Amino acid sequence: MDASELQPITQFLGQLTPFDSLSEKTLERCCRALSVGYYSRSSVYVPLDADNPQLYIVRSGAFEVRGEDGDLIDRLGDGDFFGFPSLLSGEMVSNRVQILEDGLVYHLDPETFNQLRSESREFDRFFNRAFAKRLRHQGRFKAKELGSTNRVSSLMSKQPLCLDINASVSDAARLMRDNRVSSVLIIDNHKLAGILTDRDLRNRVLAESLDGSLPVHQAMTVNPTTLSANALVFEAMLLMSQHNIHHLPIMDEGKPIGVITSTDILRGQSSQPLLLIGEIERQQDLESLIHVSKQIPLLLQNLISADARAEEIGRVLTSVTDALTRRLIVLNQQILGQAPMPFCWLAFGSQGRQDQAACSDQDNGLLLAHEMDEHAQGYFEALTKAVCAGLDRCGYVYCPGDIMAQNPKWRLTLEQWQQKFANWVEHPEPKALMHASIFFDMRCVYGPSSLFEGLQSQVLESTKDNDIFLAGMAGNALQVSPPLGFFKKFVLERDGQEVKGIDLKHKGSALINDIARIYALSAGISEVNTAKRIRLLMEQNIINRKDALNLADAHEFIAHMRLSNQGFQYTHNQPLTNYLMPQQLSSLVRHQLRDAFKVVHDAQAGLKLKFTRSF
Amino acid sequence: MLAGIKIRSQLCWRALMAKDAMLKGYLQSLMPVIDESFMEAELLAIDLEMTGLDANFDQILSIGVVPIRRGQLILSEAQHKLVQIEGSVGQSATIHGILDAHLDAALTPEQAMAWFLTVSQGKVLVAHHAPLDLAFLQSGLQASLGEKTRLLAIDTLQLEKRRLLRQHEHLQEGSLRLGRSRARYGLPVYAAHNALIDALACGELLLAQVAAMGGANKVKIAELLA
Repeated sequence: MDASELQPITQFLGQLTPFDSLSEKTLERCCRALSVGYYSRSSVYVPLDADNPQLYIVRSGAFEVRGEDGDLIDRLGDGDFFGFPSLLSGEMVSNRVQILEDGLVYHLDPETFNQLRSESREFDRFFNRAFAKRLRHQGRFKAKELGSTNRVSSLMSKQPLCLDINASVSDAARLMRDNRVSSVLIIDNHKLAGILTDRDLRNRVLAESLDGSLPVHQAMTVNPTTLSANALVFEAMLLMSQHNIHHLPIMDEGKPIGVITSTDILRGQSSQPLLLIGEIERQQDLESLIHVSKQIPLLLQNLISADARAEEIGRVLTSVTDALTRRLIVLNQQILGQAPMPFCWLAFGSQGRQDQAACSDQDNGLLLAHEMDEHAQGYFEALTKAVCAGLDRCGYVYCPGDIMAQNPKWRLTLEQWQQKFANWVEHPEPKALMHASIFFDMRCVYGPSSLFEGLQSQVLESTKDNDIFLAGMAGNALQVSPPLGFFKKFVLERDGQEVKGIDLKHKGSALINDIARIYALSAGISEVNTAKRIRLLMEQNIINRKDALNLADAHEFIAHMRLSNQGFQYTHNQPLTNYLMPQQLSSLVRHQLRDAFKVVHDAQAGLKLKFTRSF
Repeated sequence: MLAGIKIRSQLCWRALMAKDAMLKGYLQSLMPVIDESFMEAELLAIDLEMTGLDANFDQILSIGVVPIRRGQLILSEAQHKLVQIEGSVGQSATIHGILDAHLDAALTPEQAMAWFLTVSQGKVLVAHHAPLDLAFLQSGLQASLGEKTRLLAIDTLQLEKRRLLRQHEHLQEGSLRLGRSRARYGLPVYAAHNALIDALACGELLLAQVAAMGGANKVKIAELLA
């Protein structure tokens, strides 16, 4: 019987992870072992036979797996599996599978299932991983060191400093000083004879009590290790660490054309954000700041294409925003004059949490040391208006909710801020809770930290173990659930008429931020970055290790998907959004994303149990 | 209930009249199945590819069968047989993709009929637009056994027509075709066609129809045959 005869089934199974890892022959055998069933909503549940566990492969329709207590565990659609936990553990079936939509299901018997597991490691691992609901995909997030695959010629300093072999070490030292470099190449008859570095001057001249008239050839490193111009940066790093040196002459056709130092490499690895921040700090007026800020989207794209961790990208982008904010404050103070009193510029929301990405808006406020007189009011109004307008023009659009320092409502003294927070905490009404979720992620971007700490410590004091407030926060956070409905065409968010896909921010990242915030406030943790909050919560045993790691992984994974999706949109000239179109995903990534959402779902259940049970 | 009695008496009569032992055995083996539920009964979804539509003139090219047991299609027992024909495949090759070369490994019509009677023992036949397939099988059996007989099959097209008419739906041209009928139950689209895939497609349609009629435990074979 030829292989293509059950083609509709082999084809379907063959594009399904992990069946796609099986050989054609094995796949055909596997298809031959299937039986096909049809389940109708009218029978409510899939009849699971405890004595006859099977792998159920959904071909069409939609199903819900529910635990013994009726809790939703998973939603399934085309290409999803159920029944494997019993197959793997040999334990009784305790879950129930409800039929949401009539569908065709393939059944795979345990013998074939186990045979496939023993034949294919990938197949085995897939189901074990699914069973363990683990989310660790170590390799996935490991940043590719894109910087190290560049050529050395892109990082080296061109036109190297050269000196004749008969010069003295004093000549060399002067030349190095005047050119502000740490090495000089020594030339003998148009050929590279050696290299003299800071270290040589120290170890071979000064430490030996020799004087400056010493000829360089007595102090230099003779016949230094060199590299050709098209060598990889990686090779330069390797050579440096092997020989414990920091300078490498770069040769082309026997002539030195440049020098690469360990500092050059270091700068190359992380150059862009640092350079950008350096550039921001150098600009003298708003127009040039706006010009520099045009590089931010490009920086984001470079970080994404370098496959950096989403958490790191958020921190890098936020440090750029922070630098920009600080620079705007400084530049405007140069115009307006010295501030009449100490103040702090507060960042809230994503800038506070250090997880900014593309299309972030500004959320900020001003914390003043004491009451303002008329002059101070005028001063700070002018300053905040100028800074917010500057941020807007640099790409951080005005906050639609008007949570900005230019709004007098959010330009308050320490006492007034304390009063505001106290109000929210004592009267956790819907609007207060909505505010709380933004304001409680606050960070001081500019100003004396002592002033800021005065606010933060008091706020944390009031939220710690405050059951009523925390219950309100938790209730609020539980109003949105993760889009576990990965079934059929996914559960799509509709915005107007246009189907926009799955909202990774509001249905994913934001939910994890909420969870981490509530736990952190309950424990009086001052950290506001979500990943750091989770780490601290784990260290203080407030969330158990396994759940914390899962949550941190889910947070990273969802953020990563959001960023790489925006990278995709950017390269395809589409507007950047938080919406992911599920049909663009491979079935494995779909599985992983669903696992991540499941972790969020579980964490929400935990939150509910911990904070809302008595209300 | 009445339908069951009528069908059983028909079967009884045909079995009595049958001379060939295998055919007699086949018809007798069906009798107890009539009163069984869909879940209990064994069935055989079939599809035939032919050189044309006239059973008196055209010939069977291939037969695909997929057994249904405990309400599920059993792919391990699915079979696909090519049948030798006189002359060339001709025009219909473009439809079925069966070339003369494929037919070298084919069964003779006599072997095919003997094989068919063996695999269908005790199983109720299922086909989409069954009268056509049955006409060819009957004339095939007549040619190889030398006696006339009438077979029995569940017709998924007829079931679908009945259901649609009951819902007072206007029957559009082509709406009862296999693909269109499957689409109404959300069953997947199968791009490829041969006797085996169409037998599978027909079997899946029956599972969906039975589910819509009240489920495999409730629906009786007699109801489906009526």
